[in-house]
Amino acid sequence: MSQHVSELLPLAAAGALEPEETVRLAAHLAACEACAHEAATWRRLAEGLGQLPASRPSHALVARTREAVEARLAERAERAWNRAALGFLVAFAWTLVVLSWFVFDLVAGGLALQLGRPVGPTAAWYGAYVAAGWLTAGVAAVVVGRRTPEEGRTA
Amino acid sequence: MDPDREDAFRLRRGDASGLAGLMQRHQDRLFRYLLRLLGDEAMAEDVFQQAWVQVAERISRYDPGRPFAPWLFTVARNLALDQLRRQRPQSLEETDEPAAPPRDDPHARAVAGQRSSRLAAAVAGLAALDREGLSLRFEGELELPQLAATLGVPLPTAKARLYRALARLRERLLARSPAEEWR
Repeated sequence: MSQHVSELLPLAAAGALEPEETVRLAAHLAACEACAHEAATWRRLAEGLGQLPASRPSHALVARTREAVEARLAERAERAWNRAALGFLVAFAWTLVVLSWFVFDLVAGGLALQLGRPVGPTAAWYGAYVAAGWLTAGVAAVVVGRRTPEEGRTA
Repeated sequence: MDPDREDAFRLRRGDASGLAGLMQRHQDRLFRYLLRLLGDEAMAEDVFQQAWVQVAERISRYDPGRPFAPWLFTVARNLALDQLRRQRPQSLEETDEPAAPPRDDPHARAVAGQRSSRLAAAVAGLAALDREGLSLRFEGELELPQLAATLGVPLPTAKARLYRALARLRERLLARSPAEEWR
């Protein structure tokens, strides 16, 4: 038996030969009884490997797995919704910031008229007002963000 | 359209029915592979569940232009190898003596002959990497290119691993029962 051909036999049984190797092997097996016998043994072994006794996943395991995945999908959907809502709220808040500048400017102008003197650096007052608003919103977001997972764990 | 691809799209949209279809088609061979690789039913169950959860989480990374099975097996393989390394820091190339055949259910026991049980015992005694190559090819029914993709190695390396695993298996069978049909 040629050593090179004998090395092809297990791979042939595993269906892992290149087309040209398959042709070459078939030609050799047609003329060599010893290799044909060896090839049959490897084929039996390969068939046996495809029919080994093995458990299937139990119904309980499959059900548990589906539940776990569905819970994860629900979490993912909630996270996506939260991100979208947060994006919308931030965009809305900035729109209000821009629009409120005109209101602020109008009120400051009216107040200056009433008092008969300027009320100070309007832009600086407005900047402080906006910064205080965002700082408060940021602190509230952090507090709520910390509390939500804790509530989730104890639920 | 390929049903796996269709279900993967559903799962990507967050539709759990996509998961049901994928599980129905792949759960049996995935579980057999994990059982064969890990050699322990409780561990296989644990990794099986983790693998599907990870599939749902990472489905956006799956390339629908490629077959689903190798991607699934790669996800499961990474989890299983982590588990094996934690459990047994020794090399995955070492044989698992004493070899214990995986537990099988009563139905499987009834239909499996003695020859099959001896073969299962011989497989269980092989090194983890040899077991996995054989299981992916013969139980997972992955073609050689898919097997190589799952193992993350070039095609010739996958071929060499398969050859080595088969040769070692036959050696074991001959050593244990020389008068048998493996000669």
